Amino acid sequence: MVDSKKLQDKARETLVRDDVRRLIGWKRGTYGYEAAPTVIKDASDAEALIFDPTCVQNLASFLTLEEKLPVPRGAEPDTRKVAVMVKGCDSRAIVQHLLEKAYGRDDVIVLGIPCRGVIDRRKAEKLFGDVATPVEVKEEGDKLVLEIGGEVKTVDRKDILMDKCLRCRYPNPLVSDFLLDEEVEKFADDDFADVDEFEKQSPADKWAHWEEQFGKCIRCYSCRNVCPMCYCVECIVTKLRPQWTRRSTDISENTAYHIQRAWHLAGRCIECMECQRVCPVDIPIMTLNRKLTRDVKELFDYEPGVDTEAQPLLASYNPQDPEEYIM
Amino acid sequence: MSEDAKSEEFEPNIVAFLCNWCSYAGADLAGTSRMHYLPNVRIIRVMCSGRVNPLFLVNALQQGADGVLISGCHPGDCHYLEGNYYARRRFMLMHKLLEHVGVDPGRVNMSWVSASEGAKFGDVIEESVTKAKEAGPMDQFRRRRINW
Amino acid sequence: MANYKFAKEKLAKVLSGLSDFKVLAPALTGDVARFQEVTDPAQVTLDYGNSNVPPKELMFPETETLFKYRLGQDEVEASVPSPEEKRVIFGIRPCDAQAYSIVDNLFRWDFNDPYFLNRRESTALVGLACADPCANCFCPSVGGGPASEEYLDAVMFDLGDAVYLKTLTDKGEGVAEALSGVLEAAGGDEKKAADKQAKDALGKIQRSIDTAGIPEKLPSLYDHPFWEQFSDRCLGCGICTYLCPTCHCFDIQDESEAFDARRARMWDTCMFAEYSLHTSGHNPRPTRKERTRNRISHKYSYFPEKFDVIACVGCGRCINYCPVNIDILDILEKSKEAEAKEAKTA
Repeated sequence: MVDSKKLQDKARETLVRDDVRRLIGWKRGTYGYEAAPTVIKDASDAEALIFDPTCVQNLASFLTLEEKLPVPRGAEPDTRKVAVMVKGCDSRAIVQHLLEKAYGRDDVIVLGIPCRGVIDRRKAEKLFGDVATPVEVKEEGDKLVLEIGGEVKTVDRKDILMDKCLRCRYPNPLVSDFLLDEEVEKFADDDFADVDEFEKQSPADKWAHWEEQFGKCIRCYSCRNVCPMCYCVECIVTKLRPQWTRRSTDISENTAYHIQRAWHLAGRCIECMECQRVCPVDIPIMTLNRKLTRDVKELFDYEPGVDTEAQPLLASYNPQDPEEYIM
Repeated sequence: MSEDAKSEEFEPNIVAFLCNWCSYAGADLAGTSRMHYLPNVRIIRVMCSGRVNPLFLVNALQQGADGVLISGCHPGDCHYLEGNYYARRRFMLMHKLLEHVGVDPGRVNMSWVSASEGAKFGDVIEESVTKAKEAGPMDQFRRRRINW
Repeated sequence: MANYKFAKEKLAKVLSGLSDFKVLAPALTGDVARFQEVTDPAQVTLDYGNSNVPPKELMFPETETLFKYRLGQDEVEASVPSPEEKRVIFGIRPCDAQAYSIVDNLFRWDFNDPYFLNRRESTALVGLACADPCANCFCPSVGGGPASEEYLDAVMFDLGDAVYLKTLTDKGEGVAEALSGVLEAAGGDEKKAADKQAKDALGKIQRSIDTAGIPEKLPSLYDHPFWEQFSDRCLGCGICTYLCPTCHCFDIQDESEAFDARRARMWDTCMFAEYSLHTSGHNPRPTRKERTRNRISHKYSYFPEKFDVIACVGCGRCINYCPVNIDILDILEKSKEAEAKEAKTA
């Protein structure tokens, strides 16, 4: 477990620096099994910061989410750094941002936190019900001890952690200025068995599955907004001249939207699974992204979010690239 | 689906994005040489296969195309040197993505046709049409005016 | 009005008895319920907390054709969707029914919206009182309650083996008449059990806020920095608005294909930057700070100012589904603290 005092001290130390504008971390949520992201500007607010298995959100998204208004005439833009706390998976987003030049290495201070897994709220609610007060979590080896509304419950990690955590290859941040805890062992290798399983179906069965799933979509665009890699100033779905995707929520437009997003994440998705977590109608969005992640690895031997010096996948080529299906 | 195709002689609509310098010229050659090729194809000329955004294929399928084709210069011969290499990478991934969504892989095709390969162009079209015929009319996420 | 009951296991029979109506009821997909047209009565469930997408989609659909037209040789054929036949929404929670009456204010305001109002008039609401309110429900704080009967045509209480159904209006009686073969008369026992359930449910509500003074005082906090602690983590996604039963913003777009076209309206959200983007490029709500402030102020200040009712029914969906834990009760509490501090220093 991360030592809260060490975490808060480091945060304070970072915030009093002249060259730091804000720090993004997690604080206790107002209810339930998830923490709340918080942006603090004053060192005195650092005492609210926590890190535990409720810290599910990918804070790297906030680095690209910030909207900057035009600077008034005569004023200088604020070029101070932003500090951010990241888990292993989140840090891949920062690596990918850096390789895509979304911002410079000097614009961020990364406080890395090796992570042993975060709670899947859906699994937790199924096991223990919903709760109107924040849940306290302590780690005890293979188990988590949860204090839910006054009652103490113990549960095996594998029964309550997010699926992504059970196959996590990068628990330690891949880029960081400071590490706030000891590094941890990798949990498992990812064999993409779920992708293989889905692929075995016939096209008709696959489409039947997606017709049902995309039929639920309400086009709230939460998947897009929470994604650290979706940071286009003008997104294709809001473009009106020309209009690629209509706003109406029928199966044609919903499918087109999801294909567009999965396509734009080809070779960029770092599998933080936030999109799937936030979807209010439980669409298994990651099925598409994981298929591309695996194919990108197999076809082009490329993995996004691990090497800041790498070239973006689709901005590069190899004359010996594979050529299946091409007549 | 395929029963319908047999009884009504389903004629697929193929939308083809042909690069100006090689594939379009190859199609032109097929035409000037009076080589017959199937009339099911609607050609859209682009300057380079690298200009083709794979989402065009999705849009074409939405608008009623039963099959789509991207055709460019052979690797190494691109008029703009590298465009077709990028197109190749993009197409590979888009093909896989569409297959995962449940689109019959026979609908989504790519080919290398050079300016002198008029006959090959005809063959490419024939193969695309055959595959699209087997797959049947594209109904999955075609715009169908649901609840209009 | 009258009191009835039916055995819960006979639910499918009850739904089949409503064959004269179009029946809309909650059906489970996975763990979550969503209101849909009933094609197979066996799929309907009364064992659900609340649906993820609120039943506002039944009165105010996500995408709705306003009119369509076809260009002919010499003329244009235009048509407007025909009015809905009579419908029953079966198993709606009191908060969602209350939401309809709040949204009524808007759709009857300067213009009577025929699409929404036609649906309202042709629909009977048979509610399902909550026995076990969800953790984040706070309906009593905003004029509702887990067993509130005010906005329903009939209300059901799930008593375990039996369901007690009480009709409240003529429309409700109309529904009961259609079910005359299936419903039995209820006695004092059922009524007592229902009253007890209602009372217990009220006691199970865990969260609350005192809204007194908030509508009047919120505008004074327009420039206060307290909004930033929420807007800084807002993702600008549409979840809170799309899942809110009282949110009602929409976009109107034309869709055309060769000779056929339609004008449709679809849900929109003030949390998107494009919502308030002017053609000139100017955006009066350029960042999420302005948009978050606007949304909360609209619900708790501007709307009550116009229509004397807070545009929130305490269903808790925005709290449950916000991915970054922006909690409306937290915002309101902090606004009160900020306001109290301002008042002291003033």
